[in-house]
Amino acid sequence: MSDIQVNLLLEKVMAELQKRLQREMPVEAAGAINNAENGAANDRTLFDPVSMLPNPRDKEGLAELVASTPARIGVWRTGTRPLTKTMLQFRCDHAAAVDAVYGEVNPTILDQFHLFTVETSFEDTENYLKRPDRGRILTDAAVAKLKARCMEKPQVQVVVSDGLSASAIDANLADVLPALLDSLKAHKLSSGTPFFVRGGRVAAMDHIGEVLKPEVVVLLIGERPGLVTADSMSAYMCYKPRKGTVESDRTVISNIHRGGTPPVEAGAHIGTIVKKMLEQKTSGVNLVV
Amino acid sequence: MAETWITSVGIDLGTSTTKLIVSRLRLGRTSSSFSLPRYQIVERQLLYASPIHATPLLQCDEIDAAAVSRIIQQEYAKANLRLSDIQSGAVIITGETATKKNAEQIVHSLAERAGDFVVATAGADLEAVLAGKGSGAEARSKQVKGVIANVDVGGGTANAALFQRGNVIGTVTFHIGGRLIRLNRFGDIQYLSPQIRSWLKEKGMQIAEAQRITYAQLQHIASEMARSLFGYFSGIEGDSSYRLLLAGAALDKVPTVDEIIVSGGIGRLMEGPYPETMEEVSVYGDFGPLLAHELKEACRSYPFHRIPAEQTVRATVIGAGMQSTEISGSTVFIDAKRLPIRNLPVLKLELHREDLQSADRLHKKIGAIMDLGARLFGSKAVHPFGIALTGFDYCSYASLQLLADELAAGYKRSFPASDLLVVISENDMAKALGQSLSIRCQGEPEVICIDQIRVEHGDYMDLGEPISDAMIPVVIKTLAFHD
Repeated sequence: MSDIQVNLLLEKVMAELQKRLQREMPVEAAGAINNAENGAANDRTLFDPVSMLPNPRDKEGLAELVASTPARIGVWRTGTRPLTKTMLQFRCDHAAAVDAVYGEVNPTILDQFHLFTVETSFEDTENYLKRPDRGRILTDAAVAKLKARCMEKPQVQVVVSDGLSASAIDANLADVLPALLDSLKAHKLSSGTPFFVRGGRVAAMDHIGEVLKPEVVVLLIGERPGLVTADSMSAYMCYKPRKGTVESDRTVISNIHRGGTPPVEAGAHIGTIVKKMLEQKTSGVNLVV
Repeated sequence: MAETWITSVGIDLGTSTTKLIVSRLRLGRTSSSFSLPRYQIVERQLLYASPIHATPLLQCDEIDAAAVSRIIQQEYAKANLRLSDIQSGAVIITGETATKKNAEQIVHSLAERAGDFVVATAGADLEAVLAGKGSGAEARSKQVKGVIANVDVGGGTANAALFQRGNVIGTVTFHIGGRLIRLNRFGDIQYLSPQIRSWLKEKGMQIAEAQRITYAQLQHIASEMARSLFGYFSGIEGDSSYRLLLAGAALDKVPTVDEIIVSGGIGRLMEGPYPETMEEVSVYGDFGPLLAHELKEACRSYPFHRIPAEQTVRATVIGAGMQSTEISGSTVFIDAKRLPIRNLPVLKLELHREDLQSADRLHKKIGAIMDLGARLFGSKAVHPFGIALTGFDYCSYASLQLLADELAAGYKRSFPASDLLVVISENDMAKALGQSLSIRCQGEPEVICIDQIRVEHGDYMDLGEPISDAMIPVVIKTLAFHD
């Protein structure tokens, strides 16, 4: 459900609520809610939280607190329950998170960066959620395709995967991937043939490592969506990932989205980290950064 | 990167006194290990504070450079400090000393001799802000609601900075200070600053040099001075006599001040007993002690509370030494060979979301800033200015490319002689932008791009040498010497 639709629905609900409120509440408090709502209906976005407290004692202090976190604080209440706006916002964000998990990456964005697609043994999303191990193993067809189309033993292998959020790829790939390729170039690192993995888990890079034998794998993957954003991406990096690689050997930059780690800057910094991995011949907790 | 300490010095050449401090600042990682690295100053320790020296003067209008250098050398020796230990810091020349005829030369030569990245600063606004940071006013404003005024009263000027929630919301300076009237123990006036003569006249107080003044007259002057100052901040009285004491511009609007902190030499004198006789008043050869106590008394009749300063006479030097250095973002694009860079003027380029989406709009805006730079610094300038990017919150890769295209082309066109392009961004994007610029420029010019620093139009900045190859210390300042 889009933001506009939520707001239309909200306007209707609020108009009804307002009628009742004005009968029940003192004029001043009703006015405060009215003002907050007028601002909200016009231009509020998901990332622009405004406190609903009618008469805060320290208005500036509250505004600072609210601005300091994406968590839902200062949302006020009606009786013992959340306000309608809060409730709808919550359900809207939850729906976006579910959509991100069950969605598909937009094929045009994969074409734009000339990424061909291979699959893991996940079969379908239900199975992907129940069997994380399946998302770590490429299908036989995928292995054959990689062998046929990818450069073997590249210095750096860039891989993109939907993971738990297809919309993370839609939202961030166009900013992260070119910045990442620039940064590899700036550090004079060579990279292999990038591709897209459908239904991938982080450790799918181990199987890819076995097949293509790269020195470093950079995996851009959709993160488990939350209620703050459904579009968050991680960059997992590992020196020589192979069968049996442990999680502490992986380095990650997480929370990449427009309200978190800036996508272009994350991309630009990956080259620096990869360079260090190649120099130190290690990654994860052993990497000195 | 393991934890890192940097040593920072502060030197304050004031109207009546000169002092020095040595401190160390700890850089700590403030971002999680799953995020981009971000280091900030997380701890500040005062290691050494020099005694208060009288500022050595040759004549009334000239500072004794050799004597100042000697003081600093002695203090460095006492602090057990070698020049090579010092990574940052600031020399500030304050109050009436800044108007002496060799002030500019002294402060620059001192800065260069005090350490590799010790910067020269001056200016009443900066002095007021540094004093407010050193006195604890800034820190307190983060904890309490309302506006806190820090008034640093020294020998020649009272520099006020207003803080609210950790931000400076205004500065204003008055000709109010202990050494504006100098006298001996009989009350014979030996010096009367020309800066307060018109104010005295309007107040109907006729005094002149070589004249003898009574205790009561002097007390009246001090009390009226306190009323002019506090009257201004309370905003309640019709008395506009403060205008004659203003140095520079008044605030556009005086906000409601909730708390007042008096730092500086006069702040320290408030602590002692009230001077009852001319002899007690004139212990330093001026009317400072009386001014201090009249300020203290007058404070009671105004609606704000007076809060004791954490640091009084050393507030400015502590601010200069411990609070003037900032740390850039930790993902930046720097070239160690080109650092440090001193006294780089800054022009602000404010871009909105729409500008970043249209090559035409961006071309016009960048063209305008390059033209302004060429007018101010000449098109043959080698290091003309730094470009400070502000005004937008998010930059896509497409916008970044557009921005890099226009910046690189515009700069090369306007400043063909320059071999270095410096960009300062408020947003965390310096590494990406620096890489994009560098791909376009291919070394002609070279590129330095740093971020997470907020600068204003007309500020000057000093960029220090890289720390752990990842970030640089930065000092932002306004130089009074430049007009």
